[in-house]
Amino acid sequence: MAALKVSFFTVFLIGLFIWLGAGITRVSGEGASVRLGVGLSVENGEQIFWGPGKCSTCHSIGPRGSTVRGPNLGESRQGPELAIRAAERAAQRALALGHDVTGTEYLIESIAEPSAYVVDGFKDEMPRVYDPPISLGPDQIASVIMYLQTIGGAPDPSAIVLPPVIREATSGRGGADAWAPYLAGDSILGRALFFDLDGPAPCSKCHSVNNEGGDVGPDLTAVAGVRTAQFIVEAILEPSAEIAGGYESVLIQTTDGRILDGVIRRETQDSVWLADGEGIESALATTAIARRRVQETSLMPEDFARLLTVAELHDLLAYLETLR
Amino acid sequence: MTITIPGLFLADLIGAVQAAGGGGEAVRTFFGLSPRATIWVVAQLHLLFAAFVLGVPIFAVIVEFIGWRTDDQRYDRLAREFIKLLTVAFATTAALGGLLAFTLFGLYPAFSTYFVSIFSPSMYVYAVFFFVETGILYSYYYSWDRLKRHKGVHITLGVLLNLAGTILVFISNAWASYMMSPVGVDETGTFVGTTMEAVMNPLWMPLNIHRLLGNVAFGGFVVGAYAAVKFLAARTEERRAHYDWMGYVGNFIGLAALIPLPFAGYYLGREIYSASPVMGNNMMGGEFSWTFILQAALVGLLFIVGNYYLWSGMNRIPGAERYQRFVKYFNVILIVCVAIWLTPRNLPMSAEEQLALGGQVHPVLGYFGLMAAKNAVINFIILTTFASFLLYRRANKTDLVPVSEQGGGATTLMLLAGALCLLILGWYAGVMFTLPPDSLGLGPEKAIYVRIPALLLVVTMVAVVVCVVLCLRDKGRLAQVVYMAMVALMSVGVLGVYGFVVMVQANPLLRQVAATQWLILMSALILVTAIDVLLFRGARSLGPIRWGEVTARSQYALIALCVTIVLTMGLMGFVRSGLRENWHIYGVVRDTSEWGFTPTTAVMTQMVGGITLLFLTVVSFLFWLSGLDEKEHVPEPAGSD
Repeated sequence: MAALKVSFFTVFLIGLFIWLGAGITRVSGEGASVRLGVGLSVENGEQIFWGPGKCSTCHSIGPRGSTVRGPNLGESRQGPELAIRAAERAAQRALALGHDVTGTEYLIESIAEPSAYVVDGFKDEMPRVYDPPISLGPDQIASVIMYLQTIGGAPDPSAIVLPPVIREATSGRGGADAWAPYLAGDSILGRALFFDLDGPAPCSKCHSVNNEGGDVGPDLTAVAGVRTAQFIVEAILEPSAEIAGGYESVLIQTTDGRILDGVIRRETQDSVWLADGEGIESALATTAIARRRVQETSLMPEDFARLLTVAELHDLLAYLETLR
Repeated sequence: MTITIPGLFLADLIGAVQAAGGGGEAVRTFFGLSPRATIWVVAQLHLLFAAFVLGVPIFAVIVEFIGWRTDDQRYDRLAREFIKLLTVAFATTAALGGLLAFTLFGLYPAFSTYFVSIFSPSMYVYAVFFFVETGILYSYYYSWDRLKRHKGVHITLGVLLNLAGTILVFISNAWASYMMSPVGVDETGTFVGTTMEAVMNPLWMPLNIHRLLGNVAFGGFVVGAYAAVKFLAARTEERRAHYDWMGYVGNFIGLAALIPLPFAGYYLGREIYSASPVMGNNMMGGEFSWTFILQAALVGLLFIVGNYYLWSGMNRIPGAERYQRFVKYFNVILIVCVAIWLTPRNLPMSAEEQLALGGQVHPVLGYFGLMAAKNAVINFIILTTFASFLLYRRANKTDLVPVSEQGGGATTLMLLAGALCLLILGWYAGVMFTLPPDSLGLGPEKAIYVRIPALLLVVTMVAVVVCVVLCLRDKGRLAQVVYMAMVALMSVGVLGVYGFVVMVQANPLLRQVAATQWLILMSALILVTAIDVLLFRGARSLGPIRWGEVTARSQYALIALCVTIVLTMGLMGFVRSGLRENWHIYGVVRDTSEWGFTPTTAVMTQMVGGITLLFLTVVSFLFWLSGLDEKEHVPEPAGSD
């Protein structure tokens, strides 16, 4: 009888423990993990910051989060929001380094070389997030920086140029599956191809490099700073697989029955400015729009695999790889 | 042959080799079941049995030694009963160890191959010492009667048994700790160090200390539960008296080892953080922070229930009624402190809930969620438990013999205890006085924050001197009260509040503040115990302890302690292992299989609960087997101590 009572008591205690665990999972929401998106975006950066990047295990942002080991990145006792603070720190860094430093460059330095500048009152203990065990990739780091840019500022992907230390540290990731170009490629030929509007790949019609070229697609001035070679090749061959934020193609049906396709450049309460595949911009009154829908396909042609030879593709890649 | 491919991590290398068909499968399932869950169950069961097998001999030998020096046969019989339990658990531990090795090799062949390439020499040493331990254990147990006239030799065997056991646990700790803090690995993930370097990784010694103490606490509480079940099933007063006493000893051992455990845990946690801030942050502020709320609940339960058992046991001591009035205050302190300890900093909330609360953190309770609050309350919990022990010890004592009449030995003991306290406190005061603020990343203007704990240590040292003088002048009780109050004020009050200041002004200093709090508390345990020994030496007894006259409820408290410590071991086993996340060897060999993820707390508690039930069922069966040949002999009534 005693053994039976003891057994019941034991099972009761263990049951209590299991019940407590179930309760914790329910209130903490730990089971509702989200799948990370791919590519460069503020949303991905936010997910990485609060998730696998483990940034939030040290940094809070304003009232969000509760950790205090690293500086609070929002408006707090430690100063204004990060974008404003970064601009102030950039001025200090410029004095120390002897050349101009932008706020974004300061953020990049904080991640690439955390020991370069340590905020007073905090230990020099921030890990390099591109090294194991966190092992963030270049796109993920760039997304986090974009997210950080939004804390008191606006995202500016073109300002993000990741330094060689990150690219080198992450270049071998993927091991046997890592993609590598088949050919070395000639960057001079690639540049000529890029800007040849009559050639098989008139990229400059839509993309610009150092303010030269169109602006229907993303500026590629520093594309190799934030994108891997594999990503660039995939973006050329399968442009709709991932469309850069802000460059989604939109299908508009006007009230008079016309169908328009293009990228929205800017938008006010009264008007929408739409750029077509040739980069020609037209304004539409919002009252003239009957329906609009974001397309899943990119404005960028899908047939470069057919139009370009393997050698031309590698020349183009070699040129884009120089854009850092 | 060592393959080195620059820029390629070992995890990827293993994957590449396997992809080429050169290394077999990376992971296999266990008859369709998750390999990770399989390893989890087998490893945890092995660890639980091993903790018992390694913890029990430590206190069994001490109990035997006490019996030998005091010529009290009860202790000798008790030690023998402990070892008898050990012998039945030993073979199961070994079998589970073998099963763990087989499952590791079978389910994770690539990882095992890599691991063996680093540790194979230590594995041979382990095997040798396993044979040595087996031989000594059975020699120790079966020579009990034969060597009863040569007790010194027999106790030496017990000491050797512990030595062999300690070497075994240290070797296996090297494997476990290396997986958390690998050394001797180059930037490509290739092991370029020596086995000895791998053994002496940064977490090896902290884990050794933590596990040794944990094993003793575990063994004590399991023995306590064994005695409780025997007590509840006993049909005679004599057996009840015997098992009541055995349960008391088990609880005493468990609680005594439990007192320093939080500090050993803090030390381990601190070293985890030093070895990898990413892992450290994930532990307390990331995915695993909730497990520490659970841990606080379990350890809090151990302290509350352990104290309850002590207070309950005071009913069988004549004269204890004089001290019963303190119990309610102790109870309130413990419950409030445990409540603070397990208060989370914040909870996920909806916008409406945040609006109602006025933010994500509660304006008052939010402070309880900070480490400064938790450091303060754990010190108070331990101090209160220590005070409970002091009351229990003096419950039936009266007519004290003044220390001044106890001769030079008493004076020497008091001076030695005082000197030890001064040494400990003085050493750390020196460390804090000379600690450069920039070593913590603090500017020179923050130096004052570093010096304040040093000054408080000096103040405490003055209190040590005052209390030693008071004791030698026959004011021992006053000395105890003064020093306990001083420690409560310093360790809990002043440094507790100071912790909040430090978190804002000089956050990296918090670890040093916690160490200061702990050292001040340790000085109380040393000094007040020494005073207590002298104070009640030769005191008149108001009557013998009436062993066996204890409530059934108190025996359920012993069982609750056992279940709780097994759950705690399971929980912390999960945390230690889970902190590696999807890495077999943290940062070096990645678990790229579909099972390489961290389960939710709900799944974890189900697993740990199941393992606990399995362990207790198996251990109950083994203890039942060991009692089959037990004669219904009547143990002599326990004495008055």
